[in-house]
Amino acid sequence: MTYIIIIVLSMVIVGFVVGNKVKNKLMEKIEYDLTTYARMINLTSPQKEIEKKVVQLARISNARITLIDTAGKILADSEEDISRMDNHLNRPEIQEAKVLDKGTATHFSHTLGVDMFYVALPVKSDSRTIGYIRLARPLVEIKNSVRELYGLIFQSFLIILVLSFLIAFIFFSRLTSPIQEMEQFTKRLREGEDPGTLMIDSSDEMGRLARNINYMVMELQERVWSANEERGKLEAAFDSMTDGVLVLDSQDKIEASNKAFKDIFGIRYGDIIDKTPLEALRNVELQNALDRFRETGIPVSQEVILKGVNHIILDVNVSPIQGPSKGEKKIMIVFHDVTRLKKLEKMRVDFVANVTHEIKTPLTAILGFIETLQEGAIENKETAINFLQTIYKHAGRLNRLVEDLLTISDIELGEKEFFFESVSISGVVENVLPVIESKATEKMLTFDKDISDGLPSVRADRDRLAQILLNVLDNAVKFTPVSGKILITASDNKKGYVTVSISDTGIGVPEGEIPRLGERFYRVDKARSRELGGTGLGLSIVKHLMIAHKGRIKIESHLGRGTTVFLSFPIFEGEVDV
Amino acid sequence: MGEKKLTSKHYERELREVKKNLIYLGALVEKVIQDAMTSLLERNSDLAHEVIAGDDQINKLDVEIEEKCIRLLALRQPAARDLRFITTAIKINGHLERIGDMAVNIAQRALILNKEPQLKPYIDLPRMADITRKMIKESLDALINEDCDLANKVKGDDEMVDNLNEQIFRELLTFMIEDPRTIHRAILVTHVSKSLERISDHAESIADMVIYMVTGKSVRHQYSVEDSEK
Repeated sequence: MTYIIIIVLSMVIVGFVVGNKVKNKLMEKIEYDLTTYARMINLTSPQKEIEKKVVQLARISNARITLIDTAGKILADSEEDISRMDNHLNRPEIQEAKVLDKGTATHFSHTLGVDMFYVALPVKSDSRTIGYIRLARPLVEIKNSVRELYGLIFQSFLIILVLSFLIAFIFFSRLTSPIQEMEQFTKRLREGEDPGTLMIDSSDEMGRLARNINYMVMELQERVWSANEERGKLEAAFDSMTDGVLVLDSQDKIEASNKAFKDIFGIRYGDIIDKTPLEALRNVELQNALDRFRETGIPVSQEVILKGVNHIILDVNVSPIQGPSKGEKKIMIVFHDVTRLKKLEKMRVDFVANVTHEIKTPLTAILGFIETLQEGAIENKETAINFLQTIYKHAGRLNRLVEDLLTISDIELGEKEFFFESVSISGVVENVLPVIESKATEKMLTFDKDISDGLPSVRADRDRLAQILLNVLDNAVKFTPVSGKILITASDNKKGYVTVSISDTGIGVPEGEIPRLGERFYRVDKARSRELGGTGLGLSIVKHLMIAHKGRIKIESHLGRGTTVFLSFPIFEGEVDV
Repeated sequence: MGEKKLTSKHYERELREVKKNLIYLGALVEKVIQDAMTSLLERNSDLAHEVIAGDDQINKLDVEIEEKCIRLLALRQPAARDLRFITTAIKINGHLERIGDMAVNIAQRALILNKEPQLKPYIDLPRMADITRKMIKESLDALINEDCDLANKVKGDDEMVDNLNEQIFRELLTFMIEDPRTIHRAILVTHVSKSLERISDHAESIADMVIYMVTGKSVRHQYSVEDSEK
């Protein structure tokens, strides 16, 4: 726009100046022409001749010629009837000529009705003025010339305008195309696409700007990458934590959770986001902890029990997250699974209680009988012997208990030395059976044996293997009612193990109790087991010994129908170790 | 304008509070049913006492929720969805409170049964309790997620519980006929079974209310409603 104003202004000034100059030049030329003609006419012809030939002269000189006498009366005129013309003495050109020998003027001709340029000269005869000759040309000519000039100037103005526009456009596009490129570039960058590199190759400001942008983008991308990497690490840590974590926003809505949390609560991802923990988990204790934290602002630690198929005990910690903005109070809840810990703790407490109880029962009996003997029962020989037998029985039980406990603790502490060697299962069974058979015949139990020939030897400690079989067989005999059956089989399971199975037709164990059979002092029916003289440690010892043998134990049982114990021992492969 | 905005914010918060309390009550009820059944099945009398003592909290919450709902209705004149939610909340609230009472019933029976030898191993009762608990859980899930499909599923499960209830009754009847000494215990066990059956009915009603809340259509006593529409 400014350019246009400047151009127009300069054109106007140029037009004005040039126009004036041309006009003046033309006027001068006309003046000169007319003066020359006037002089020539004046010189060559006497006045009368001029009067007669005024029209021809006018045609030659291309001007209007007027002859005026000294009084101002018109003598002849090339274009008008003299009778209709008034006195011309007062015309400025005549007045000027009278004084200066030559007069010029530009004025409106009343006679012809147009602007005219007049040149008047005195006509002299013997150096006396006898009249005036006046030549005139209409100014229209000059005006036309000037107009023509203006037209020319306007044309050139238009050309200049178009040209300058063209130049401006080229200049502009050269200036703006890199800017456009940068705009596209930054747009791509903002939308997260790979923007590539800005290719602007110039040494001016544009080029420098482009280079700066390129550096900036490079740095930005590096930072984004490192931020992503950091986040990836944090997320990996977050997800690989064994403790469940929940992040709540200020509205108590779940913002994030980790894998461990999902494992503990068994919820699919996506289901819980944007819900409150109450909505998602509906746990009263957790909500209480959360409410208490919201009230006090002090981190809360509470035990939460998840009841369900598996009892899960969680140690829940509610604590604030220091967020970037102070107004938002985000919360982090950490769930630490303490089920195993609690279970172990309970087992330990139970164990101490059990041991005390198991020891105390026979001890009380022994003490009681001894007291009775001291108080005189010893005199009665028959009663005394009876009492002593009872004391012996209880002492024996106490002894077995202590032995069993020692065995277990030795195995657990790893102080029991095992001597592993190649052992033949059938041999050990032959050795063990006589021990158990005496008890079995008392209850009229029948033994069946089905041990395949040519079984590979197993890797075992001979004495321990005997103890394992003895314990299991003892249980079978104990829990099988009179005239039941016990079956021992042994076979190669073709997977590197020899499996011994001992099944009975006993009372069996409820399915839910099977996993607990290996626990110390665990008894399905406490009263009955003790009655049968068990310590509650037999299967526990078996379990521990099997682990030491790198073997496996599996128990199948049906209530009222019997129990089968499968013992798998690894086949001996020639190595000798301790 | 500012005042109005403030009021609506207040209103939103009150509405959220009601929803939170209702879900909390639901969670509480879920817990007491579980505890009551555990006290019976695992013969844990301490737990039964806990359940009975916990009913106080449920009753208080019931009154509180109802008051809040009535306050909202009176002061805010809610419309459309909010109105449906509040009326539904009042009804669900009542159902949950009743379920809490049923849990107390079960716990009381458990206290008596735990003092006597177990009549027989429970087989159908735990199954029934599992289904009932699942129904309560799913009806509350449906409420939270406004999930009509889940609500419909809950309605379908009620039949299973009814069947189990009948089965338990028949089984106990044979016990009673065979040995009159078991009558007392058997009757107590039928009470428990009946309580579970009622709980499942309440769960079904909650599911109905959820469907009403979400769709605005009443699905209770479905046949009679359809007939009257014709």
